Amino acid sequence: MNVSELTLLVLRLGFLLVLWLFIFGIVYALRSDLFGQRVRKQPKDGAPAVASAGLAAAFPSAMPAAAPVMQPAPAFVQPPPASAAAPTEQLSAQAAKIDLGPGDKATAQNATRLVITSGPKAGTEFPLTVESVTIGRSADSSLVIRDDYTSTHHARLMLWNDKWMIQDLDSTNGTFLAGIRLAVPTPVPLNTTVKIGATSFELRR
Amino acid sequence: MSNSRAADAPARAPKSKPGSTRRLHLPQKMRNVELFLLLVACGINAAAVVLVQLGALGHIDTTLVVLGAGLSGLVLCLHIVLRFVARDADPFILPIATLLNGIGIAMIYRIDIANGDAGWDSAAVRQTVWSGLAIACAITVMLVIRNHRVLFRYTYVSGFVAVILLLLPLVPGLGREVSGARVWIGIGSFATFQPGEIAKIALAIFFAGYLVRNRDSLSMVGRKVLWMKFPRLRDLGPILVLWALSMSVIIFQRDLGTALLYFGLFLVMLYIATGRLSWVLLGMTLFIGGAIIASQTLDYVHGRFQNWLDALNPDVYGADGGSYQLVQGLFGLAKGGLLGTGLGQGRPEITPVPQSDYIIASLGEELGLAGLFAILALYLLFVARGFRIGFAGHDDFGKLLGVGLSFVVALQCFIVIGGVTRVIPLTGLTTPFLAAGGSSLVANWIIVALLLRLSDTVRNQPRLVV
Repeated sequence: MNVSELTLLVLRLGFLLVLWLFIFGIVYALRSDLFGQRVRKQPKDGAPAVASAGLAAAFPSAMPAAAPVMQPAPAFVQPPPASAAAPTEQLSAQAAKIDLGPGDKATAQNATRLVITSGPKAGTEFPLTVESVTIGRSADSSLVIRDDYTSTHHARLMLWNDKWMIQDLDSTNGTFLAGIRLAVPTPVPLNTTVKIGATSFELRR
Repeated sequence: MSNSRAADAPARAPKSKPGSTRRLHLPQKMRNVELFLLLVACGINAAAVVLVQLGALGHIDTTLVVLGAGLSGLVLCLHIVLRFVARDADPFILPIATLLNGIGIAMIYRIDIANGDAGWDSAAVRQTVWSGLAIACAITVMLVIRNHRVLFRYTYVSGFVAVILLLLPLVPGLGREVSGARVWIGIGSFATFQPGEIAKIALAIFFAGYLVRNRDSLSMVGRKVLWMKFPRLRDLGPILVLWALSMSVIIFQRDLGTALLYFGLFLVMLYIATGRLSWVLLGMTLFIGGAIIASQTLDYVHGRFQNWLDALNPDVYGADGGSYQLVQGLFGLAKGGLLGTGLGQGRPEITPVPQSDYIIASLGEELGLAGLFAILALYLLFVARGFRIGFAGHDDFGKLLGVGLSFVVALQCFIVIGGVTRVIPLTGLTTPFLAAGGSSLVANWIIVALLLRLSDTVRNQPRLVV
C-alpha cells in the first residue's frame, strides 16, 4: 500500500491542526481561570437593602456622602474610603474603632462556625477548622461568593497566633468589618458582621 | 427523649452541608473533562505513530500499536484511580503529560526506524515499557500519599535522600560515565539510571519544608542598600551551601545542567518564600560567577561555552566534541521550517543522540515551528496549572511544593530547549516527558502524581458556594 504525496501532506497538516485544537480545547476549558468566574445576577426585587448596600460598596468613592447613610450598622460611622486623611491616621483610627467592637476576639478555641447572615444563602453555616478560609469568586476558594461585587480572590480568614484575622486581598470593592473597610489584616471579634459584596457573615461559637 | 433528638437534627444538618452541596453540584465534572481530554490525547498519540509509519515505511504495521494501547490503558487506569482517591484533582495535568509522553514515543520510534532497530534494541519499546513503569509509580504515589502534608514530616529525610542520590554516581563500581558526565548508576550491564532526576523531587520537598520552617530569619531582617533589603551575612549559610553543592556537581559530576537546575530551583523557592528580590540577584551573581570561573578552569565547560558562542566556526564544528551536534540540530530545525517535513519524512537521525538530548530538534524538523510551538504551549499549560495549584494552596508547604515542582519542569525545559536552540550553552538534561530515558520519565510522572494530589487537597477543603 503506497500513500500518495497529497495524502501525506493532508495528514501532516491535519495532525498539526488537531494538536492545536487540543491546546485550544484546554484553554477553552480553562477560561474561568483566565477571565474569572461567570457572575450570577442578583434578583432585582429580592432584598433591596442588600442591593443598595452592595451598590454603595461597589462605588465607594463615587458617593462618599451617601455611603454612611446606607450603612446597616449605625454604631460605626464609616469614613469615606477615599477621604483626604493621611493613610496612617486612617489606619490607627480604624484599628481603634474595631478594638471597641462588641465581644471577644474570635480564637481557634471559641469560634467554631462561620454563619452567613445576609445574602442569597443567609442562614447557612460553614465549619471552621485550623485551616485558613479563602473567600472569592474563583472556584478554588473555600467560600465561593458569586456576585457582581466580589473579586476572584477577595479576602482570607486565617489564624495568626491563635486569633482569627481577616485580610483583604486587594479586592476591588473591599471587605468591611463592622462597616469599616479593611486596610490591614485585622482580628475578627465574635458575632461581628463581615461584609463582602452582597453577602455578610459572622464568626460564632 | 425523642423530642430533643428531633431538635438536634436540624442543628446538625447545616454543618454537613458544605460537603454535601459540593457532591450535588459537581458530579465528577472534573474527571469527565479529564476523561474526554485523555481520550483525545490517546487518539493524537496513535495518530502520531500511524503518521510515522506512513511517512517512514509507507505502510501501517501493528508492532507498536499493541504497546501504545497498553500505555493508553495504563493512563486510563490512573484516571480511574483518580476517580476514587482524588476526585477533585486538576483535570488538565494528566492529558497534557500523556500527550507529551506519546509524542515522544512516536518520535523515538521514528528514529528507531531510521536506525533499523527493532525488538528490545528499539528505544521506543524500552521507552514504552519505562512509561508504563513510571505511570505505575504515579499510581502508587497517588495511593500511598493521601495528603501532601505527610511529606512535611519528612523534610530532612528527603534532604538526606537527595544528597545520597546525588552522591551515588560517584561511588566506584556503581557510577557510570556517559559522554563525560558522571550522573548515571548502573547495575550489571543494562539497567542504567540517573538518580539526579529523582533527587530533584526530594530536593523540592526538602526546600519547601525547610523554607516554611526557617524563612522568618531569611525574610525579616537585613540591611537596606539602595532600594533593596539585603540579608545579613550570617543568614547566607543556606544559599552558600547550595552554591557549593551545585559547584561540586559541575566539578565532580561534570554536569552543568543539573547544577543549574538544582540551584535555580532553590533560588525560586527562596524568592517565593521570602518575597525578596535581593536573594535572586545574590544567587544569580554567585552562579554566573561560578560558571565563568568554571569556564576558565575546567576544559569541558570551556568547550561548551566555545561551542555556544562560536558554533559556526569550521574549526569548532570539526573538532572532537565540537559544535557538530549543535549545528546539525540547528540545520534540522531550519529544514523543518514553518510546517515541518512531516512525521517520518525528515532526516533527524543525522544529529547525534536525536532521541534523547536532541528530541526537540528532531520534532522541530518533522513538525516545524507550528508543531514545536504546540509542544511549548503544552509545557506552558502544564507549568501554569502547577503554579495555579500552588497559588490556590491553603498551607505554605503546599504552596511552595506546588510551585517548586512545576518550576523544576519549566526550568528543565528552558535549559534543554535553550541549549538546543543556542540561547544558552548546551547541557545534557532530558526534555521532560519527551526524551528517551527511564529515570526522567519516572521522576516526571511522580511530579504529575504529586501535583494531582496537591490540587485535590486544595479543592477538597470544606467548601460553601454562595
